[in-house]
Amino acid sequence: MKTFPLGDQAILFQFDQRIDPAVRAEVTRLQQRIQSADIPGVRYFIPAYCSLTVGYDPGLWTSEALEARIGALSAGEGASEPEIRNRFWRIPVCYEPPYAWDREDLCRQTGLDWPEIVALHTGAVYQVYMMGFLPGFAYLGILPEALACTRKAVPRASVPEGAVGLAGRQTGIYPLASPGGWQIAGQCPVPVFSPQNENPFLLQPGDGVQFFSISGEEYTEWKNQVQTGAFDSTLLYG
Amino acid sequence: MAEPIFLHFIKPGLQTTVQDGGRPGFQAYGVPVSGALDPESARAANELVGNDPGGPVLEITLLGPEIRFEGAAQIALTGADLDARLDGAPAPRYATLRVREGQTLAFGKPVHGCRAYLAVGGTWMVRSWLHSASAAPFATEALAPDSLIRKGSRLAIQPNAWVEPQAWPEELFPHWSGSPRIQVVPGPEFERFPPLAIAHFFGRPHLISPQSNRMGYRFQDPLPGIPSPSLTEIISSGIVPGTIQITPSGHPILLLADAQTTGGYARIAVAPASELGRLAQCRPGDGVWFQVAG
Repeated sequence: MKTFPLGDQAILFQFDQRIDPAVRAEVTRLQQRIQSADIPGVRYFIPAYCSLTVGYDPGLWTSEALEARIGALSAGEGASEPEIRNRFWRIPVCYEPPYAWDREDLCRQTGLDWPEIVALHTGAVYQVYMMGFLPGFAYLGILPEALACTRKAVPRASVPEGAVGLAGRQTGIYPLASPGGWQIAGQCPVPVFSPQNENPFLLQPGDGVQFFSISGEEYTEWKNQVQTGAFDSTLLYG
Repeated sequence: MAEPIFLHFIKPGLQTTVQDGGRPGFQAYGVPVSGALDPESARAANELVGNDPGGPVLEITLLGPEIRFEGAAQIALTGADLDARLDGAPAPRYATLRVREGQTLAFGKPVHGCRAYLAVGGTWMVRSWLHSASAAPFATEALAPDSLIRKGSRLAIQPNAWVEPQAWPEELFPHWSGSPRIQVVPGPEFERFPPLAIAHFFGRPHLISPQSNRMGYRFQDPLPGIPSPSLTEIISSGIVPGTIQITPSGHPILLLADAQTTGGYARIAVAPASELGRLAQCRPGDGVWFQVAG
């Protein structure tokens, strides 16, 4: 692990630079270790694929002092390390027209037919490696190699809230309407971002996610539940 | 309790937003920090009218709005000198001013600096999101709908009891250079860059491009000597305001308060938080020099 100061307000802890569940687990462990030590002046974390950014109050710490403090925590790691228990979500997606905008492009790029693509996309178990780009946008990995695809050559000016996209070896759900360059495979009827809620975010870094396929009619039923307020996100708890 | 007063925007100005201390703490969910780009000036304005120093102010960029005051208020203007006028008479900066019902605050040509802050004494009745009234860089109509000022916007403020007027002596007014020397620390990917790129990074001024906004300053000219665009690509990782990224075309971008929380470009250097206020007062066309903090 390497550490770097990010200016005078954050430290970057960098692990082996690769996208790998084992490396990501180290990120979570370091974050949990720092959180459980309850160090005053630690303000926020930005966990990512193979790094952890720790923001701090520059009135209380220099980067050297905080690095030393966190380094001392790591020295005590070992047998007592708690097991990582992440939440797991099963999320509905309609892969039918009119939602599967990039069906043809995806079939062409992967050489697979649509049912095979849907089976692979719903068969994989993903993890939230990182959140970023937009509030509530979760980068889910790792997409099966057979589904690896490039971004759209020209990003779309607007992708709707709930669109399920693929890019590279990643997939994700657009939390709100935004410009976007990912290949759109379907549409999720339930909100991953509810700004009016006390906790607006369905997903958090480290969560597990698996998609399941729903028909257009089921999509409408889910959507109605959301609109009438009958939807409860614990229904998705796997 | 007194009736609220209203600020009625006859003209919105180039970019006028409500900003406060921002919404730090939600970066792990992809939420930009936002908040006043020049926090010292924003705090000074609030203090002059007796408000919470981290409370909301208007951030006014280069070309100011025209505001009709529906109700009397105490106000203060800090930060850039954008030629503020109250019913046509020059409105001094860094002073508590009394505005009468029906008066109009307007702005002329930018004289000095880039961003002015307008505080109005009282409680701002604006909807906040994640404990902050700051305009959000995405979907602000849904998240902080009162905070992006448009033509015809009306801001409601419940006035405080008057405070004793104060005025800063002119020698304490901040002065901003159009070619500031900004102290930076080398970033995580600094070592990747070849000597020619590093020499240009520290040895030349970087002109701020007109394509700059609250997410970041883009600089006009690319760094030379970058052998391949892949040198500038990293596995996405955390970024903080002040981070200087190099894009695959070699162009530096200095990230500001509305920037995304993660990025996939190499971080050549990071400016500390203490440098962000004077950076915020730079304009497109200004040349920024970077120096290693020593």
